[in-house]
Amino acid sequence: MADTGKQAKPMTALLNEEFSLSAFDSSAVPKKLLSVLDVEKKMSLESVKVDPLAILKIAKHARESYPSEVNGQLLGLEIDGVLEVTNAFAVPTQPGSEDDMTNYQIEMIQCLREVNIDSSVVGWYQSTRLGDFMQKPLLDVQASYQASPNSSSVVLIHDTSKSEQAGNLSLRAFRLSQTYLDLTKDGKLTTKDMLEKSLTYANILEELPIEVETSSLAKALLSELQWPANADQELLESLQRPSSFNTKLRARRLADRSAISDDTETSSDALDNSLSGLLPSQPTAYLSRPMCTNALDLSQGLNGSSSLARQLEGINDLIDEHIHDANQWMYWKRGEAKELNRRQQYVQRKATSNAARLARGEPAEPELTEKELDKMFRVLPEPSRLDALINTANLELLTKGITQSRGPALTKMFMAQGLHESSA
Amino acid sequence: MSMLNLSLPPLASNLVKSRTTTTATTTAQQCYIHPVVLFSILDHYLRRNDNQERVIGTLLGVRSDDGRVVEIRSCFAVPHFETSDQVEVDMEHHRSMFSLHKKASAREQIIGWYATGSQLSKYAALIQDFYSREAAPFGAVHLVMDTELTGGQLGIKCLQGAAIGAGAHPENCLFLPLAHELQYPDAELTALQAAADSAEGEGIATLISDMEQLEKTIEELRCMLARVSAYVDDVCEGKAEPNTVIGKYLMDMLAVVPKVDTKQFATLFQSHLQDILMVAYLTNLTRAQLNIADRLQRIA
Repeated sequence: MADTGKQAKPMTALLNEEFSLSAFDSSAVPKKLLSVLDVEKKMSLESVKVDPLAILKIAKHARESYPSEVNGQLLGLEIDGVLEVTNAFAVPTQPGSEDDMTNYQIEMIQCLREVNIDSSVVGWYQSTRLGDFMQKPLLDVQASYQASPNSSSVVLIHDTSKSEQAGNLSLRAFRLSQTYLDLTKDGKLTTKDMLEKSLTYANILEELPIEVETSSLAKALLSELQWPANADQELLESLQRPSSFNTKLRARRLADRSAISDDTETSSDALDNSLSGLLPSQPTAYLSRPMCTNALDLSQGLNGSSSLARQLEGINDLIDEHIHDANQWMYWKRGEAKELNRRQQYVQRKATSNAARLARGEPAEPELTEKELDKMFRVLPEPSRLDALINTANLELLTKGITQSRGPALTKMFMAQGLHESSA
Repeated sequence: MSMLNLSLPPLASNLVKSRTTTTATTTAQQCYIHPVVLFSILDHYLRRNDNQERVIGTLLGVRSDDGRVVEIRSCFAVPHFETSDQVEVDMEHHRSMFSLHKKASAREQIIGWYATGSQLSKYAALIQDFYSREAAPFGAVHLVMDTELTGGQLGIKCLQGAAIGAGAHPENCLFLPLAHELQYPDAELTALQAAADSAEGEGIATLISDMEQLEKTIEELRCMLARVSAYVDDVCEGKAEPNTVIGKYLMDMLAVVPKVDTKQFATLFQSHLQDILMVAYLTNLTRAQLNIADRLQRIA
């Protein structure tokens, strides 16, 4: 019994299989191959995987030219909705003609291809200073990257000052949303469009999660950097150097480790200065192993440091602009309402006079068509809402960033308090 | 008594002179390396062609005016072809890459070259000769990384060439070790940290938020403090051997803890707390306003 049952099953299964083969069933295709079959590029990107090499190159470029903002190209591959960024190169900042730029990029990619580096451009990176990267030029460039229908390119935003202050890498990946791309094709944006397609300041950009992937060799390097073979020896040697090392180290740190040193050190806050001594030197610097203790640095983040002040100033400007935009729009709206009102009154007057004429037995005046009415009462076109929208998005971005940075700041405050109490 | 007058033959004296002058001006004494260089070399090695044992490339960076301190900031790969009796380096590639590189970061000059492998290539002297000419008037620095992980170590070494023998033959070169130190600017440290996080697990990690980072760092700090206090306890109880250097260091560390008056601290703390809360309040208020405006627009 059991045997027959067993045999019967494969037969039907086989039949089923043949059937499903003849009618192409996409669920039978292994997941890995789906992206190959995806000719029309319907699959969207899910995440970005970045190699430490690319991050380091971006960080170096951004730091060296801090505080000016720089950008460059990302090289890599897209596999199964994951964009792998394996390399990056800087683009010159000095003004040159468009042709020079293109030539530079083409030559660079050709050269890199010779040494087997991924040669397809998968996006670009941009460094930012105060976190207000949401601006028209950036969106335009990204739109041009995403213009070709099958290009899955991202923009990576790296914030040098935030990375250094928080001691945590600040790298974010963005793509423009499809609604934004559709609506801004002709450069004009009306409130009606925005409402119909439900485009708000929150969905201009889509953020993608970033993963860091390290190769095995790079892992070996990292572990060697973290635990050098002769670490103890080195530590003792460095401790034996003249004892003014604290000041020396601090001076050195300010001179060459931090791109933003002049930025943060200018703040002359009493508490900052008194507390920044709490963590005077980084013992890890002696071990020369990569560990960033900046997250604990009380002089950064806790204070009303100058960069926070500058960010707040930026917010102020943006709010002013926002109000200006709102007023402008209100002005237009009032104008439109007035015009519509006049038009309605005119139509009504016309109707009553016609009724009177008919009552008197006179022939009625011909009704005015919509077109003629439009001609008589010209409603000004709505000013483009694009700038206002981007401005709002920028404002939201900045305020969100500041709100988020308050948590660590508070934590550090209370940490300092705890230390003070225990030492007092 | 007879007098013996000794003098060097003219050729030899010239040689001695020229060599002393060159060594006096061109040798570097300290070399700083940026981590991005090491990662680039490893990436290049991973992307080598089939049957290729080692890869080489050009090191770029800056020098102090007298050439004694060298800082290697970046590098690029150069294709080369090596057989048992000859070596070919793609000079054209090297030149075009360098000119491209100069456009983006104008300050960086040619410092030397890198190679992978546990031993020096037998053509190292020849390549060194080429790069010395590229880096003239300074000497070229040679960086070696052992990608075969002999002894479980990457064995990063910095070398510089010195002429050896009576005549200046390009194939004669003595490689002398050069002191090197890695440099970690803060911005790169954060990147390395993210990479180190990923190296701990499967090799993939997502970026963490500032708050999580702070938590991790505090945890690490606590571990360090625990280690130090355990060591101090051991020394006090006579279990561990006292070390004056470490003791002095700990003293110095304790001495820099600032003495802030409790009252003063309280006022400072309060005012800062108020500042932080106010900023948080205002930014939240702004966000709420924006949200309301957006929603009103949709109702209208």
